[in-house]
Amino acid sequence: MAGDLITILFNAMIWAMATFLVASGLTLVFGILHVLNFSHGGFFMIGGYVAYTVLSMFGADIPLWAYLVAAIVASVAMGGTGVAVDTLVFRRLKSVDGVYVLIATYALLLVCDGVVKLIWGLNYLSVSPPRELLDVIFLGGAILPTFSIFVILSGVVVFLVLDYVLNRTSAGRILQVIAIDPWMAGVVGINVSSVYRWTVITGFALAGLAGGLLVANQSLSPDLAGIFILQAFGVVIVGGMGSVRGAFVASIFLGLVEALSATYLPNYPGVLFFATIALVLIVRPEGLLSRQATT
Amino acid sequence: MTIARVRPAIFFSLLALLVAGALIVPHVANRGVVFLSGVVAINVVFGIAFNLAFAKAGILSFGNAMFFAVGAYCAGYLITQQNHLPFVVILLAAAGCGGLLALVTGLLALRRASGVYFAVITLAVGALVHVLIMKLNFLGRNDGLVGVNRPIIDLGLVELDLARGDAYYYFIIASCALLVTLMWVLWSNRFGRSLQGVKSDPMRASFLGIDIDRKRLIALVLSGSITALAGAIYAPWAQIVTPELAHWSFSTMPLLFTLLGGSAFFLGPAVGAILFGLLDYATRSLIGISDLLVGGLLLAVVLSVPGGVLGLLGSLLARVRAPSSPRREGRA
Repeated sequence: MAGDLITILFNAMIWAMATFLVASGLTLVFGILHVLNFSHGGFFMIGGYVAYTVLSMFGADIPLWAYLVAAIVASVAMGGTGVAVDTLVFRRLKSVDGVYVLIATYALLLVCDGVVKLIWGLNYLSVSPPRELLDVIFLGGAILPTFSIFVILSGVVVFLVLDYVLNRTSAGRILQVIAIDPWMAGVVGINVSSVYRWTVITGFALAGLAGGLLVANQSLSPDLAGIFILQAFGVVIVGGMGSVRGAFVASIFLGLVEALSATYLPNYPGVLFFATIALVLIVRPEGLLSRQATT
Repeated sequence: MTIARVRPAIFFSLLALLVAGALIVPHVANRGVVFLSGVVAINVVFGIAFNLAFAKAGILSFGNAMFFAVGAYCAGYLITQQNHLPFVVILLAAAGCGGLLALVTGLLALRRASGVYFAVITLAVGALVHVLIMKLNFLGRNDGLVGVNRPIIDLGLVELDLARGDAYYYFIIASCALLVTLMWVLWSNRFGRSLQGVKSDPMRASFLGIDIDRKRLIALVLSGSITALAGAIYAPWAQIVTPELAHWSFSTMPLLFTLLGGSAFFLGPAVGAILFGLLDYATRSLIGISDLLVGGLLLAVVLSVPGGVLGLLGSLLARVRAPSSPRREGRA
């Protein structure tokens, strides 16, 4: 029984941190630019494929440093793509109604899908975890793979870094000012459009990093973007749009829902997850953890 | 955004033109093209039903695939399991199911969220419907429903066997033309104009005594049930119903048709659906290109031609007309 409980909690944390890694960049971009970026899942997926291509040079025996380097390469590549997307899409749609921006990012997601299918094909690809992380730990009857512990730690580290930067540094305060009132921020001499650009770059780099860190966590296929963007949307909605802390807490909450559902309702994956999101939206449309109602 | 004026004569002559074009297809093209043409006709209804909620009431739904799928599954299930029911009853049941789903979605979400938030909620509800369809035994789980036969319509004196030859194709064209006409009436009558008011200025509309939540809900329910009807008509045409119909990527289709053709025009989604059908046919041999095509096209339209093809034609026409009019006077 104790083993079951530990397994459920452990599975919840794997799901939670994997999803948080994707949701962090999504909620960051939404918080500052107020753009709900559908294509985030697509760039996460491409990040995973980029890391796969880097790691395929090492064959089956991957050292940990190479795994981390591949994640950083994916992150830099997606950050660079962020510049292009910001210039070509986000800046041009600044004065357009929100629904058109949403449609444009949706279209970008389809483009990502198409690019992946053209370059890497439709087959499932997989990467084995780095050789230092192939062990398992036995804890009270539960089996905990060290690679999954690595995924959980990655999520926690990314959260702590983001939270520190947003709340404890001057750059973070500037971001918060712009999120609240971009016009006034411009008046007091902050270069708003440059901050927007760096936010997009950071958001995309986070997507790439997530893709690289999670590349061995699941197999790669063109469906990956859709699966993760829906999970990340759920987390961002439940946590309150734009809040990194909210996304962190919500990912753990929804991870528990998902793990319980996988244990007790194995024939209906996802039903409890979407039902919970629908319920949260009905009770508190602004998200469980947001301080004020969205207007 | 401007909405084109209502001109019944122009609408009916354009509709007649489209129907005539569709009726010629079986005489000049092979079976593959006839099938595609039937799909395009259904897509026209799918697109216009979406735009009825989008352009008229300002409701962006990312879940229209679920209405389509519910209609298709309803028809598929009733045709395979309860084949003694008249086809008209099956169609009505499908429309009812779609309307009910839209009603539930609207009651849960419309009042609480608008614009982008509502779009995300419909996405979540659509994903839930997709998961349910994939897991329910009586809907065939992952495999869907097969052997959805084309029905026989009993008209009392005569029986129409829609399974024979191109009969079902003509049935599609006739019923789609009927649905398009119905939507045109909804689009341009008092109801449509009050929706317009709700979209442009909700506060003023409510001061004028319009119950805006109710109007939005009615628009969503109409859009949902007509979309479900399109799905129900589609099921016997494809003769198979699969869970892909409920997948959220299928919800992009009506959006693409609408934006490609021009959301401000009633027939915008029709133009978009036809153009997309042609493009799809032209690129059918290129595997993996379809996502790139749909995505790239949608992105290009949103970024550079927000008025769609009809909007572009309109502005080009205006530009051509302006400098040419003095010349015409000079010649006369």
